[in-house]
Amino acid sequence: MELFDTATVLTRVLTTGVVMSIEKSDRELPGLERLLTKQTGRTRAVLVNSRTAAIHAALAGQGIGHGDTVAVAEPDAATGRFLDWLGVGVADGGPVAYDHVALDPANADRLAELARTGTAPALVVDLTGLGFGPAAAVLTDDDRVWARAERLKIFGAYDLRTMWTQEEADASLVPGVQFNYRLSPLVAACVRMALTQAARPATPTGARS
Amino acid sequence: MITDFPAAPLPLPEPAEVDSELAALGGGAMIPKASRRTLFPVITKEDVFNLMLAQRQAPEKVVADFAEAYRSYVGAAYALPTASGTSSLHMALVGAGVRPGDEVIVPAFTFIATAQAVVAAHAIPVFVDIDPATYCMDPKAAAAAITDRTRALMPVHVHGLPADVSALRALADRHGIALVEDASHAHSAKIGEQVAGSFGDAAGQSLMADKNFPLGGEGGIAFFATEEGYERARAYLERHGIDYGMSWVAAAFGASQLERLPYYDEIRARNAALLGEALRGTGLFSPPHVPQGHVHAYNMYRTTLHPEAVGLEDIPVFAVKEAVHELLVAEGVPAREWQNTPIPCHLPFQHRDGFGNGYPFTLNPGAVRDHRPEDFPVTLGMLDSTLVLCRELRSPVEYERILRYADAFRKVARRPDAIRKLVETRDYRRPYDKAARLG
Repeated sequence: MELFDTATVLTRVLTTGVVMSIEKSDRELPGLERLLTKQTGRTRAVLVNSRTAAIHAALAGQGIGHGDTVAVAEPDAATGRFLDWLGVGVADGGPVAYDHVALDPANADRLAELARTGTAPALVVDLTGLGFGPAAAVLTDDDRVWARAERLKIFGAYDLRTMWTQEEADASLVPGVQFNYRLSPLVAACVRMALTQAARPATPTGARS
Repeated sequence: MITDFPAAPLPLPEPAEVDSELAALGGGAMIPKASRRTLFPVITKEDVFNLMLAQRQAPEKVVADFAEAYRSYVGAAYALPTASGTSSLHMALVGAGVRPGDEVIVPAFTFIATAQAVVAAHAIPVFVDIDPATYCMDPKAAAAAITDRTRALMPVHVHGLPADVSALRALADRHGIALVEDASHAHSAKIGEQVAGSFGDAAGQSLMADKNFPLGGEGGIAFFATEEGYERARAYLERHGIDYGMSWVAAAFGASQLERLPYYDEIRARNAALLGEALRGTGLFSPPHVPQGHVHAYNMYRTTLHPEAVGLEDIPVFAVKEAVHELLVAEGVPAREWQNTPIPCHLPFQHRDGFGNGYPFTLNPGAVRDHRPEDFPVTLGMLDSTLVLCRELRSPVEYERILRYADAFRKVARRPDAIRKLVETRDYRRPYDKAARLG
């Protein structure tokens, strides 16, 4: 990514004064959520601060936890170790629990195409390769998956909407372990810029020749 | 106006304003509605410039440089930068030797992340009550909760006041267990000349942007007293494939903010002293207790109500508090409860699903309790009788604003008649009879 572009985006966000994910006036996180849902064709997005957080959210969103077994498409060694830490066993065969896409500057323009091949209830998009630090998202069409995944985050969207009240009408939505998996608006803004620029043809300059 | 520059200057308060009618009863507010927003954190042109410079460096170096600079400031032996306060606490516990099924003693009054970090370490949080003066973990209560399976004490320097570290250290040493600090509120807090985060065998600290020392959004850092603890935490991340990495964007912002942390500290200390002097003169309110030799960081400022001082001793203190809360908010002071229920009574610790199917609680059923609020009477008493200011003492809060906050407390304290009348017309409930709140 061009340093100039990143500098512009960082400056723009810093000028707004809003760098906190729990700030009600934050526009960067919802903006990235909208972009990701639009590009992937999924209706819901959960932003998190790492690839492993996204895997955790994708599984927790489906009610998959310690002692359960799932199928995962081609898990690498690190993912296998992480699933083991979660207490989730890996099974051979059957529908996969989540699809996985890792973006970098070389393939960032292909998110829509890559997402189309996914059929699992949750799509994990690793955004770390774009260069702003660990970042990821879970995309889904299932509101329940979204709701559970958001509750995995302390002060996720659910808590903010309800003024941080820990009360649930549905016991199955009560969170178990919770992490601060929240993504910084500054990182979200940079990721959004990278995805937006990757999706449109490059323009060398806006100046008249 | 979108920067941290105030939209309009606040005039210095006039003495007559304290005697004027309460805003809730139709009078003028001490802080006009247009001037109530408190922007945080402070973002300067240096922060912007330093972020620009950072993007020309290797991300790993930006993060490592930040961690080393802050480790040096705190005086801890080793530091591990993380993505959040919760992950830093998780790593501190692991570094201190906490293993699956172990018991970790935590205070019932804290942010939920303290206890969730214990669960993240696959251990069991054992909740104890707090000290009535400091609101930090009560060493006697902690001593009573120790069992053969206790691996660590995890005090919280709540609101920025260091816990009773000497008593807790002695207790931990007596039982051969670890002392792990939750220093998430306590940036620059001290006992003597020693900074919070360097007291224990390990410590975790949130650096999210609403803290006294903010990073660019989300972040945390774990501190370790020994290389063994530090390496144990690093090996754990590798062994389990966990990504708790800090973004260079957040680190660069933090490195820039660190330069101004001593300035922020002085502003908060000055504002706390000014407000404390005003509260002591009201009778109804008292400032936070600070033990000799402790330096309070005032991430939050919890004031205690004394209804008997203004002839309201016949009214339940929680009702006086609710009425005062209403009156203060009308004056433009954003006072709040910040927690209304002991943490063990929040849903995740009532249901105890953990990572799923009850893990890790199933590893040690003997440590698990079905708590009721009444199990923590000191915490309940505090929740009944105190109110909190959060950002209101921090830079860039102006001198005029803190004077007006002080006057708002004076104005409300002079009107026990209005407090009584409000209580008579409202149906106030005890804080923990309402749905539990995280913040």
